[in-house]
Amino acid sequence: MSAELMHGKSAEPAVRVRGLNVVYATSQGDLPAVRDVDLDIEAEKITGIIGESGSGKSTLVMALLNSVGKPGKIVSGSVMVPGVGDMLSIDRERQRRARGKELGLVFQAAQNSLNPLRRIGHQVLDLGRSHEVRDLRDLLRKASDLLTRLGMDADRVLTSYQHELSGGMRQRVGIMFALILDAKIVILDEATTALDMLSQASVLEIVRELHKERGLTTILVTHDMGVVADMADRVVVMYGGEIVEEGPSGSVLSHPAHPYTQGLIRAIPRISGAIDRAVPLPGAPADLKTYLEPGCPFYQRCAAAMPKCQANRPTSLTVSADRKVACFKVTDHD
Amino acid sequence: MKTVMARLAKRLVAGVIMILVVASFTFLLVRLMPGNPVEAKYQSLLLNGLTPVQAMDEVRVMYGFIPHQSLWIQYLHYLGQILHLNLGQSISYEGTPVMRIILGAAPWTIILVLTGTVASFIVGILAGVIAAIRRNSPVGSAITISGSVLHGIPLFVMALFLAYVFTTIWAVLPFGAPYNAALTPGFNGPFISSLARHALLPVFTYALASYGGWLLTMKSSVISVLGDDFILASEVRGLKTSTRVGYIAHNAILPLFTILALSLGFMFGGSLFIEDIFDYPGLGNLLVNAINNRDYPLMSGAFLLITVAVIASNIITDFLYSVVDPRIRR
Repeated sequence: MSAELMHGKSAEPAVRVRGLNVVYATSQGDLPAVRDVDLDIEAEKITGIIGESGSGKSTLVMALLNSVGKPGKIVSGSVMVPGVGDMLSIDRERQRRARGKELGLVFQAAQNSLNPLRRIGHQVLDLGRSHEVRDLRDLLRKASDLLTRLGMDADRVLTSYQHELSGGMRQRVGIMFALILDAKIVILDEATTALDMLSQASVLEIVRELHKERGLTTILVTHDMGVVADMADRVVVMYGGEIVEEGPSGSVLSHPAHPYTQGLIRAIPRISGAIDRAVPLPGAPADLKTYLEPGCPFYQRCAAAMPKCQANRPTSLTVSADRKVACFKVTDHD
Repeated sequence: MKTVMARLAKRLVAGVIMILVVASFTFLLVRLMPGNPVEAKYQSLLLNGLTPVQAMDEVRVMYGFIPHQSLWIQYLHYLGQILHLNLGQSISYEGTPVMRIILGAAPWTIILVLTGTVASFIVGILAGVIAAIRRNSPVGSAITISGSVLHGIPLFVMALFLAYVFTTIWAVLPFGAPYNAALTPGFNGPFISSLARHALLPVFTYALASYGGWLLTMKSSVISVLGDDFILASEVRGLKTSTRVGYIAHNAILPLFTILALSLGFMFGGSLFIEDIFDYPGLGNLLVNAINNRDYPLMSGAFLLITVAVIASNIITDFLYSVVDPRIRR
């Protein structure tokens, strides 16, 4: 790895998101799910995206593939992927070819990501045919290698139907599907959430190995701080569809700057000690009303709120080397 | 394969038992009906001057049993006759075996209903997939509306309307009778083309009337499959549209197989309105005539046929299911 990449400054990002806005059409009007997101995903790094349920993490990664399902709609923005172009403006066929081949996604509900009526092996072949893979035999061999790596009996899995596999096995099969076409950018959206702690640890270990081995750019979407601390080089914290803080995971987790990040870290229960040492965040996650307010989306729940926060939305500013925070308390130096 | 055979055998045994139960039920029903047609016939034969012995013999030939025997003996006799495929003799078509009458009427119904059902199934399914995938576009809405409207029009209204349009206003098709009576039935060109021309209108009516049902059922099935996670996953993996539509259609069509099999079973009940309006001597007409004439042997024969057909089609669906749906294969 070059020195440039180590510093992560001058290297071209693997994904460059600019001005991304995604809304969900509801009966009460458009609910913004991702708001004005600018984000550079550094190449060959593991980026963790963290936030509460409903903070827009999954919508953001689905938007990277331009696969936001209805009633969601991408309103504006661009998602530049080197070698592909802007996922949001290239034609549909090129988008389709990029999905799976350039950007592999292991999807939140990966246990149900398989066609129940076709054997896994056949679905691998379907994938290969869709992406014009010449040597399908070789593709099956790759699938078999990956499945073995993921700790499964590859022959049995390839000849099985979805209902013949356990939840954990299906999840791993989902990971295999994201990696099999040698996508350089791999997104795991809560991919290990449904697994027990031991399987989770072993799957994450394999992900880490493959990440290094293949020089992947990995995006981990999770609400588990432990996973981020363990795996990620960088962390992106989302609240109410906005990125409130981002930076190298070590420094963000040890010195969280945004009150929301601080709250998230305080809310983690420890293995030992009383459960009430974990402090839940007061209030409810951002909803439609919050978005109509002109101020900071976290204003209602913020202990450090100032009058200014109610009237103005803080913008994300670089506070120190490589760290950005969207909070007046941090960015204002008076 | 062994388990499949065992399953099939189990199903067959269950089917035979069901048929026996229904046969027993029809047997009792006929005997519980007011008016005792057997006794009436016996009495009328006596009045016609036959001796009691002759009259009894006559009745025995006609109904296949002797009225003064105990119910239990009659029942055993009846079952024995069924096993020999003897359904007794018709009253309205005097002296003709019920079996022969039913076999004579069945082909007309099968031509009509089978062709109509298969045609409407295929068209309805395809239209249903399009209507579901394009449900937010004018094309999808138009298809859905066509389904609802056609589904809502009663069969006899549709039949009369089409008959009026195509045989009166724009007289391109013949009306009434299954074929041109001037031709000799057989495997010859003119007869077959006449058969086809006469069948066109009733088949079309039947297909048009059932198309809406298939379309709407398939549409809702496709929409529910579209919401499944694996469809989103297939998009995210960049599968070709044709492959994805194949995934969707395969998963969505499964529930419709049951309905198709049941409707093919009920086909043997005939389609009364169509047969009546287009003057087809099919099973529907036969059943109505039997009821009007209190032809009990013919009635119970027709009911038995419907039962056997429905049960048999159920067994076949069950078997087909285990071929098309791996989750049931075990």
